[in-house]
Amino acid sequence: MTAAPHTAAPRPLARSAQDRWLARRRWARAAWLYAFMLVMSFVFLGPFVTGALSSVKDNPNEYPPSLKIPQLTPQYIARAWSLGAQGSGDGWQGGLTPGRSVTFDVTVASPAGAPQAPPTVALFPYQPVSLVATTRLAQARDYAQVRVQPTGQTGNARRYRVTVTSPVLTKQTGETVRAVLTAPDANLRARLRGGQVVPVMLDTPEAQARQYDLNEGQPVELVRGPAGYSLRGPLLERTPLQVDVQRGQAITGSTLPPSDRQNFGRSFAFRNVTPGLLGYTLSNYRRAFNETRDPKSGRSLFLSWVTNSFTYAFLRVAAGILFCSLAGYALARLTFPGRTLIFFSAVLFVQMVPSQVNLVSNYVLLKDLNLLNLWGLWLSGLVPAGGVFLMKQFFEGMPRELEESAAIDGAGTFTTFLRVMLPQAGPALIALAITQFQGAWNDFFWPLVILRDNASFTLTVGLSNFRELYGGQGDYGLILAGAVLSAIPVIILFVVFQRYFVDTGADSAVKG
Amino acid sequence: MQRRQTSAAWLFLAPFLITVAVFFFYAFARAAYYSVTDFNLFNTPKVIGVKPYADVLGDPSFRRALGNSLVFAVLTTALQTVGALLMAVALNRRLRGLTFFRAAWYMPSITSSVVITLIFLWLFQRRGVANYVITQAQAYAPLTLTFLLFLIGVQVTQVLLERRRALPAGWFDPALGVTSALLATAVTAALAWIGVISAREVPPFDYQYFADKWITLGGVRILSIPLLVVVIQNTFTTIPTLMLFFLAGLQNIPRALYEAAEIDGATPWQQLTRVTVPMLRPVTFYVVTVGLIGTMQMFDQVAVIGSAAPGDTLITLAYYVYANTFKAGAAPVNLASAAAILLAALILAMVAAQRRFFPSEAS
Repeated sequence: MTAAPHTAAPRPLARSAQDRWLARRRWARAAWLYAFMLVMSFVFLGPFVTGALSSVKDNPNEYPPSLKIPQLTPQYIARAWSLGAQGSGDGWQGGLTPGRSVTFDVTVASPAGAPQAPPTVALFPYQPVSLVATTRLAQARDYAQVRVQPTGQTGNARRYRVTVTSPVLTKQTGETVRAVLTAPDANLRARLRGGQVVPVMLDTPEAQARQYDLNEGQPVELVRGPAGYSLRGPLLERTPLQVDVQRGQAITGSTLPPSDRQNFGRSFAFRNVTPGLLGYTLSNYRRAFNETRDPKSGRSLFLSWVTNSFTYAFLRVAAGILFCSLAGYALARLTFPGRTLIFFSAVLFVQMVPSQVNLVSNYVLLKDLNLLNLWGLWLSGLVPAGGVFLMKQFFEGMPRELEESAAIDGAGTFTTFLRVMLPQAGPALIALAITQFQGAWNDFFWPLVILRDNASFTLTVGLSNFRELYGGQGDYGLILAGAVLSAIPVIILFVVFQRYFVDTGADSAVKG
Repeated sequence: MQRRQTSAAWLFLAPFLITVAVFFFYAFARAAYYSVTDFNLFNTPKVIGVKPYADVLGDPSFRRALGNSLVFAVLTTALQTVGALLMAVALNRRLRGLTFFRAAWYMPSITSSVVITLIFLWLFQRRGVANYVITQAQAYAPLTLTFLLFLIGVQVTQVLLERRRALPAGWFDPALGVTSALLATAVTAALAWIGVISAREVPPFDYQYFADKWITLGGVRILSIPLLVVVIQNTFTTIPTLMLFFLAGLQNIPRALYEAAEIDGATPWQQLTRVTVPMLRPVTFYVVTVGLIGTMQMFDQVAVIGSAAPGDTLITLAYYVYANTFKAGAAPVNLASAAAILLAALILAMVAAQRRFFPSEAS
C-alpha cells in the first residue's frame, strides 16, 4: 500500500531511478484518486445543482437545457430591478401600479426586401394556472396601455421603445393607500392595512366599467379623499408583453431576454416586463408562496407547510431527547427483569417491521381520538426505537465509575441520570437531535396518512401535491423551487453538524 | 436497591413502552385481526378466516406489487452494496480534503426522498436533462471513441516500453495513465481541430421513461422502466452513505494483512476478494440487512410519482397497503392488512435467512 502522497515530497538528493519511478507512481495515483473524487462529486451533486439552477428559469423544461441563465446574469438582474422600480417603485417585488409607466426596448432587424414595419406589441393575459387556489387577479392587458416609438437605427436594425402605462382610475387626489378587496355586497369594499373595511367609490366611467371584473383578494390602490376612498386602480403583479414581427424580420435584442420564442423566432413573449428582482430571479420561489394562497384565509399554504414541518421537527427533537435518553439509559444501565426481552421486542423488532402494518390501526385510532393533525402525528412517533437504540449504545460505552461515585454520595437513580449521565451525553444528544430533525423533516409516509387537510400538511406532503397539481402540465418551475426550498434546512443542518452525521452513521455500522 | 432500580427503570421506560405498546404492538395485533375479518373501515368486523389472504394472493395487482418489491429490493441492495464497496476500496487512502468531498457525496442521502424523486422526475422527462445528456453522448461518440482508442493504444505502448526497461509496470500504471490520457486528449483535440473527426448530428433522444414499458425475461415482465429509474435513484442516494460505512470498516483492517498478502504475491484482485471482502463481513452484513429492510418498504417514490407512471409499473407492497386502505368508498382494509402482514413476514424471513446463511462474525 502506498503512503500518504504529501509525505512523499521529492528530496533534492540524488536517488535511484527505482525510487523516483515509485514516487512518480504514487503522485499519479493520488492525482487519479482526486480526479475520481471530483467526478463522483459531480455525479452526486449534479442533479441538485441542475435542479437548483433550473428552478430560477422561466421555463425549466427548455430544450436543449442551457446553463446560460439570464436570471443569474448580473446585467439582466439589474435591468429586472430597474424595470420593477419603474413599474411600482419597488425594485424587489416589481409589478405595475396605477399612474406609472415602464419603458422596454426591442431591436428588430429588417433586411432589405423584408417588411420595414414596426413590431406588433400587445399585452397578453398570463396567469399561471394555480390549482391550489383559484383567485383570478386583474390582468395588465385589461388596464394598461401600450405605445411603440422608434428610437433609432443602426444598419438594418431598428430600435423601438415600448411604453406600458397603467392609468389612474380616479379624479380624486389625496393620500394613496393600499388595500385588498373583500367580498363585495352592493358596493365594492376593501380591507385596509390595519384591518379596517371601507367602501370603495368609483368616480370615473373607466373605474365603473371595471366594477365587476375585480375579484375578492385583489390588491388595489385607493385614494383617500374628503368623501372617502376611491379606486385608483388594481396593483398588477406582472406585465406580460408579446412582441411579434413579420416574416423576414427578426428580433435581435430586448431589454430582458424573452421567456418564450415562438413562430420561428418572430414572436417573443415576455412573461413579465416589470419583474423586480424577486419576480425575476426568484419568480418560481415567489410563485410557490403566492400561488398556494388559501382562498378562505388568504394565508399562503406553502408557508403553512414550512411552519408545520418546523413545528413537527422541533417537537420530535424535544420528545426524542427527553424520552429516548431516559429509555436508552434504563436499557443500558439499570438492571430489572425483562430488560433483554424489551430490548429485542421493543427496540430491534420494531425497527424491522414495516410501518404499513400499523397503518390501519393508527389511522383509525387517531381518527377516533380526533387527532388527525400534527399532534397525532407527533404522538404516534413520540419515542422512536432507533433513537432509543442510539442512546443505549452511547450509555453502554460510558465508564461506570461516575455512577458508582454518585451512588456512594447517596444520589437516587433519577438524580444520577440527570446530574451525572445526561451532562456527559452531549455528542450523542446532538447526533440524536440531528437524526430526529432530519427524520421528521423528511418524513413522508405518516404525514401523508395522518394529515388530511391541506393547511395542516408538512412540506413533503405539500410538495407531492405540487407534483400532482403542476407536474401534469409540465410546470416544473414551482416544483423545483419547492424542492430546493425544502432541501435547504437539512443542508444547513448538515453543513453545520457534518461531523455528527458522519461519525454516528459509520460507528454504528462498524459495531453492527 | 434492586427494587428501587426496577421501579425507576419502568418509570424511565414508561413513555417509550406506552407509545410502542399502543402504536406498534396493539396496532400489529389489530392488523393481524383485521386480516382475518371482513373489515372495510365502516362495518363491524366479523371473522371470516384466511379468505383475505387467499384473496390477496389471487389479486393480480398484489402479485405485481410483490414482484416489483422483490425485484426492486434485490436489485437495489445488490447494486448499492457492490457499488459502495468498490468506491470505498478505490478511496481507501489517507487523502487530504476528504471532508469536503464527503460533504458533497452526502447530499443525496440527507435530503428527503420526496425532493429527490421530484428532481428525478424532472430529469427523466421526455425532453429532460437525462435524455439531453444521452443525446450529447451520442453526438460526441466519435470523439470519445477516438480518445479511448488512443488512450488504450498509448498506455499499452508505454507499459511495454517500461517493461523492456525491466520496470514492473502494471497495465493500469497510474503515472503512465496520466501521460496516456494527456496524449490521447491532445490527439483527439488535434483531430477535431483539423476536422478529421467531429460531433455527429443526432436527433434528440426522447425516450419516455415513465411509460408502460417492461424488461421481460422469457415473456415474463420482470422490471418496468419507471421502476428502473427508481432503482437508479435509490442506488444514487444510498451509495455515498454505504460507501462511508465501508470506508470506516476498511480503516479497521490491519495493514499487516495486506502486507502479508503482497509478500505472498497476491494480485490487487486477490487482495480484494481474499482479504478485503472477508474482513468487511460485519459491515456488509449490516449494509445488506438495512438495505433489504429499507428497499422492501419502498413507498415514498411510488406515492410521489403517482399518476405520472402508468398502472402497475411502480406499485410496491407498501403502496398496495396504503392504496387499499384509502380506497374511495368501502376500502378493502382486510386485504390491506393481510398484505401488510405478508410484507412484514417477508422482511423478517429475509433478515432471518440472511442471519442463517450468511453468519456475521460480529454477531
